[in-house]
Amino acid sequence: MNKRVLFFLGVLIIFTMILSACQPAAETPAVEEPAAEVELPPAEPAETVKIDFWHSMGGDLGGVAIPQMADDFNASQSQCFVEPIYQGSYDDALNKLRASLQSQDVPAVMQLYDIGTRLMVDLGMTTPVQEFIDKDNYDVSDLEPNVLAYYTVDGIQASMPFNTSTPMLYYNKDMFRAAGLDPEQPPRTFEEIWEAARVLNQVDASGNVVVSGISMSIYGWFFEQYLAVSGGYYANNANGRDALATEATFNSPEGVAILEWWKGMWDEGLMGNYGRVNADVRTAFYAEQTAMFVDSTAVLRGAMDTVDGKFEIGTAYLPRPNEAAFDTSGTIIGGGSLWIINASLPEEQACAWEFIKYQASPEQQAYWHTMSGYFPIRDTAYEVPLAIEWRDQYPQFKTAVDQLHLAPNNRVTQGGLIGVFPTARQTIEGAIEEVLAGVATPQEALDKAAQIVTDAIEEYNISMGLVD
Amino acid sequence: MPQSQMQNILSASRTQTGFSNTAGKRKRAIKNFLEAMLYLSPALILFIAFVFIPLIRSFQISAYITDPIGRLAKFVGLLNYQRLFETPNFINSLKKSFIFVLYNVPTTIAISLGLALLGDLRLKGIPFFRMVFSVAIAISGATASLMFKYIYHPTVGINYLLSLVGIPNIPWLVSSNTALISVALTSVWLQIGMNTVIILAAMQTIPEELYESAMIDGANAWNKFVHITLPMLSSTFFFLLVVNTLASFQTFTPIHIMTSGGPLESTNLLVYSIYREFYFNGKFGFAAAQSIMLFFIMLILTIFQFVFLERKVHYE
Repeated sequence: MNKRVLFFLGVLIIFTMILSACQPAAETPAVEEPAAEVELPPAEPAETVKIDFWHSMGGDLGGVAIPQMADDFNASQSQCFVEPIYQGSYDDALNKLRASLQSQDVPAVMQLYDIGTRLMVDLGMTTPVQEFIDKDNYDVSDLEPNVLAYYTVDGIQASMPFNTSTPMLYYNKDMFRAAGLDPEQPPRTFEEIWEAARVLNQVDASGNVVVSGISMSIYGWFFEQYLAVSGGYYANNANGRDALATEATFNSPEGVAILEWWKGMWDEGLMGNYGRVNADVRTAFYAEQTAMFVDSTAVLRGAMDTVDGKFEIGTAYLPRPNEAAFDTSGTIIGGGSLWIINASLPEEQACAWEFIKYQASPEQQAYWHTMSGYFPIRDTAYEVPLAIEWRDQYPQFKTAVDQLHLAPNNRVTQGGLIGVFPTARQTIEGAIEEVLAGVATPQEALDKAAQIVTDAIEEYNISMGLVD
Repeated sequence: MPQSQMQNILSASRTQTGFSNTAGKRKRAIKNFLEAMLYLSPALILFIAFVFIPLIRSFQISAYITDPIGRLAKFVGLLNYQRLFETPNFINSLKKSFIFVLYNVPTTIAISLGLALLGDLRLKGIPFFRMVFSVAIAISGATASLMFKYIYHPTVGINYLLSLVGIPNIPWLVSSNTALISVALTSVWLQIGMNTVIILAAMQTIPEELYESAMIDGANAWNKFVHITLPMLSSTFFFLLVVNTLASFQTFTPIHIMTSGGPLESTNLLVYSIYREFYFNGKFGFAAAQSIMLFFIMLILTIFQFVFLERKVHYE
């Protein structure tokens, strides 16, 4: 009898397992929704259109800044009521959107990362903001052209930029001084970074590295940015912007040179190993265990607040392969934009547009900019008193603005436009790991990664009916 | 399983109604059957809705390539299965999953047995220690994974303590040599609580007379442990072996939170790889093919355990 019960139990477990294997959603833990609980705003007035705004900003940005902007918007008029909802990381939010499309329980406006642009356009589930810009005669001349260009597909403004950033170099000025380097002349090229890292690296008596010269997390975004400042294309057909991309091209000499540089510093023991986690690299910088690191301009405020004067933080341009590259190319605008989901009702979409216009106003952009370190998407936001005050307080941010304005607006700096970008980014991260572990040479690893991404692009293009 | 239960019920009703073949008796049999179905229906409906339909659907999806939101785009037959064996990822995930089970299951059961033996001692205040040994039951996998993620943090966790005494950093989660072991440690820690409780409960059902008569025969503690405790626990160990193997094979949460399958795919266990292909890469067909393979592997593994190991198990 016992035996039979046990067998039944075994079978039951197997089926439970199949169930969970078929439906991974059931297992997705809810851990990526941390402290960013949004307090419910006060009850909305009658006869307003209530819309949901999905975003992926954790921490203070999602917990304070975005609810504040929504509250201000709700208070500024009475037709629309926006409720911001934190949906976890961009990847999680995109997955939830995919799932919710079938139930039609969708937000009216949604924040999504830059690299989801092609996918969003191809899925045809959004109303291009261009339609509202035309209808409203909305003036876009004051908006950053580089930023607008990223979200322009086939000549149409697909979504409205919201949070934009580029990566830059952060360094510990005190360590520069101690090592005899000039803290006001930060390294600019791959070669100079390497030399500075050698000088800054500190090893104790028993040979353990106490301070790494430079640390970078294994993050595909950094590779994309280095590739752009090197003038390389991520995908064919001019990054998929002249015509549909059909092939990945990041295994070019430009791409290989980046990984050779990375690997060279790694092998000399100049880089700390923090895996793929950006936050862990930052922690190491705060703990004075790495002298330089690369990260988004958006983490500047967090870094300044955390370090709180314990040492002096310097910022510099993202390193270029050589001096000449400063004139010919630049960084890609990263970050996110706001999309209007067309499965929502027309009046909800109208409210979504109202909210988008509101957040794009100079005052709101100045607030957003000073809360985070994201760029304002329009120049007039810099002249708002709040922004001026902030720049005096955090002069390091000037680097970020200069870097943005330094970048020419061309197919390279507009960035790759492919539907499988999340996959591609992750594939490159795998390639970097292979190179650092010595499993493959930069050329081998990138060739393999490019093949995987090309296959994924082909399958994507077929499944979306973009090619025959 | 419900089918065989149904057959049981059917045959039972047949025996009750005797050997006659008359129409009245058959009618009664049908009535009995329908009544039984009525009682079973809540379970059956759930079973069909949440197990059979998804299973059949998985088979279907595995024969297609899909668009990134999962709509079937093109019938490709067995191509997805063929790809499983052409790309190194699936084989790698399979290998890592088996290694993970090997790290996990024996360690968990061994440690739990040790704790259960301690918890079985007749000492003052032992209930308190029993509670301590089993406290991990109360902690969710996600919480524990986050906890261990900080413990393994390159700067602030154990590494900080090590640095105080001059020991170089251990790349817990960031080296492909150590990441799987680090994750397995978390998983072992999580499972110990439940395993300890089950073993302890089983120990306490072992009749005292056995130990008493062994003592009269002059057996020492070790002899009693080897010749009485272990054999009497064999059915429990078998149960734990099956359950822990299945659970380890399905491990997802610690991977998702701590390593995302990296570095160098060293922690890309099968279920996580399915999740990755399904949700992240949008390759629903490929992911479905993987989960079907997982289904058959688990089925074979479990049948194997029952056929070859259950013989050695002593049931009360």
